[in-house]
Amino acid sequence: MSRLSLWIVLSVLAICALPFVLERHSTELMIFAAFYAIAGLGVGLLLGQCGIVNLAQAFFYGIGAYASAYGTVVLGWTPALGMLVGVGVAGLIALAIGWPILKLTGFFLALATLGIGIIGTILFFEWDWLTGGTLGIGGLPPLSIAGFAFDTPDRFYFLAWGVALGLLWLAHNLTNGRPGLAMRAVRDAAPAVEGLGVDIHGLRIKVFVICAMLGALAGSLFAHYVSYVSVESFTVQRSIVFLLIPVIAGPRVVWGVVPGALFVTLVPEWLTGFGDIHQMLFGLVLVVVVTLLPEGLTGLPARLGRRVTR
Amino acid sequence: MTMTLVWQSLLAGLANSFIYAMVGIGIAVIYKGTRIVNAMQGDFAVIGGMTAVFALSSWGLPYPVGFALGILAGTATGWLIDRFCVRPMMRRNAEEDAFLLLTIGLAFTIGAAVLYFAGRDAHLLPGLGGSGSVQIFGAFMPVHAIWLIVISLAVVFGLWAFYRWSIIGLSMIAASISADGAETNGIDVSRMRGYTFALGGAIGALAGILVTPLIAVSYQMGLGITLKGFAAAILGGLANPLGAVIGGLVIGVSEAMAVVGLSSGYKDVVALGIMLIMMVLMPNGLLGHAGRKGG
Repeated sequence: MSRLSLWIVLSVLAICALPFVLERHSTELMIFAAFYAIAGLGVGLLLGQCGIVNLAQAFFYGIGAYASAYGTVVLGWTPALGMLVGVGVAGLIALAIGWPILKLTGFFLALATLGIGIIGTILFFEWDWLTGGTLGIGGLPPLSIAGFAFDTPDRFYFLAWGVALGLLWLAHNLTNGRPGLAMRAVRDAAPAVEGLGVDIHGLRIKVFVICAMLGALAGSLFAHYVSYVSVESFTVQRSIVFLLIPVIAGPRVVWGVVPGALFVTLVPEWLTGFGDIHQMLFGLVLVVVVTLLPEGLTGLPARLGRRVTR
Repeated sequence: MTMTLVWQSLLAGLANSFIYAMVGIGIAVIYKGTRIVNAMQGDFAVIGGMTAVFALSSWGLPYPVGFALGILAGTATGWLIDRFCVRPMMRRNAEEDAFLLLTIGLAFTIGAAVLYFAGRDAHLLPGLGGSGSVQIFGAFMPVHAIWLIVISLAVVFGLWAFYRWSIIGLSMIAASISADGAETNGIDVSRMRGYTFALGGAIGALAGILVTPLIAVSYQMGLGITLKGFAAAILGGLANPLGAVIGGLVIGVSEAMAVVGLSSGYKDVVALGIMLIMMVLMPNGLLGHAGRKGG
């Protein structure tokens, strides 16, 4: 058993045991970390496997959340249907947007996604017949599957982390199979891969759509958990946080989104002890990680090890 | 809707155009000198504007001193960013997405720092040439807006001359086109990159000081301005300061028309929509053949 799989098994065990020892507030934070892990997984697949910076994830997160809110509260759908519609709509919109813009690369693609993220936030704000504008939509029913309602934090905790770990496992298999090989080859040597007959554009669109669907799923879970959605949850700042999740732990390993998601939920919580300066400290941590630690925080032990043995 | 109303909002759009152009010029300068797209250019504007505001209101310094301090703050920030972030990353040949993450992280950090040190409030500066306005064919334009346009044009032509004739300007371009070639010719490439960031910071801060009499400066405006400036720069072909002015005019005027025709909420949608369409359909910008990497 390799070191990585040992870590994964230990983390999964720890995640299963946590709700029995944590107090309620910490359990809630951990539930948010699961939403972040799911949405961050999408961004991480794009960044780590394809080298694409996506700054529109909060938009897709919002589509999932509003589909669940509007579907269940206004149209009276079941939560499962709302979630399904949200994920489907996000996928279709990602396909329609991704097809033209994924011809761009690098900075231009990143800023294009940033533009889409900002347009998305404005539309959430302006289309108040659909989204409730600044007032938002409240009173979402708790999520229930086949009559079993996930209506307590502990139950929701297992649902959210179960979904997150399941998706991580799927993503792990995806990136270790042929598609993952193709994705990383596109990232590292696009012209050579094109020569080998890989449909680069098609591959990038597929990953972009998967990313959007993961974002929508996370948004939908979030909406059911807090039972209230409004524009503030889907701003560009949120997209930046989603981007940080894979960056902090190093985007190349899929499982890195778990420490990344824990970092973005727990560290600001601890830093609030320092007062208003915590946001700035958080930003500085990011700058330091990007500047000095190209493999992210998970690369730190290996880096120190190299320095010691040298 | 009367013609005067359309004309009035066109004039307002014209003033905004030059602000976007100034931010776009800063992005173009940094891109020209380093091949990095700076996603925190708008935060240089926030730093410049805020420094000038505090120099005037809290420390009671005279207007020209505040103006100079604002520009100095932007220049220093640009230089520091190169020295402490970009240089170590260049040394290990970091990839394009790493530089983008860096500038986004800096935008986030500077926004949070301004929030911490300067607070949530938005601030205005007094305008150049007082608070008066002139009447042009029945519509009013603040005197400051005219100063803004004059100064922006002066910056564009100054930069054009700088890159064409001055040794430093030529070295800065050479360092970005071929680092090895420039090094062989005795150009200190990393120093040129430092100058480029300092110049970008100075132009960004100037943009911030000039915008603050028209739009109140606050900690959260950085990213929005960056994107408008980027849209202007993209329309102009990204490496061309004059192109950024034309791009700024397209963005500013279409925004003004969107406010008249649709509602003010949609003006950013129109500006960013134009940016997206232009990026996909005309990757070299309105002026063409400017050439750009990575798209």
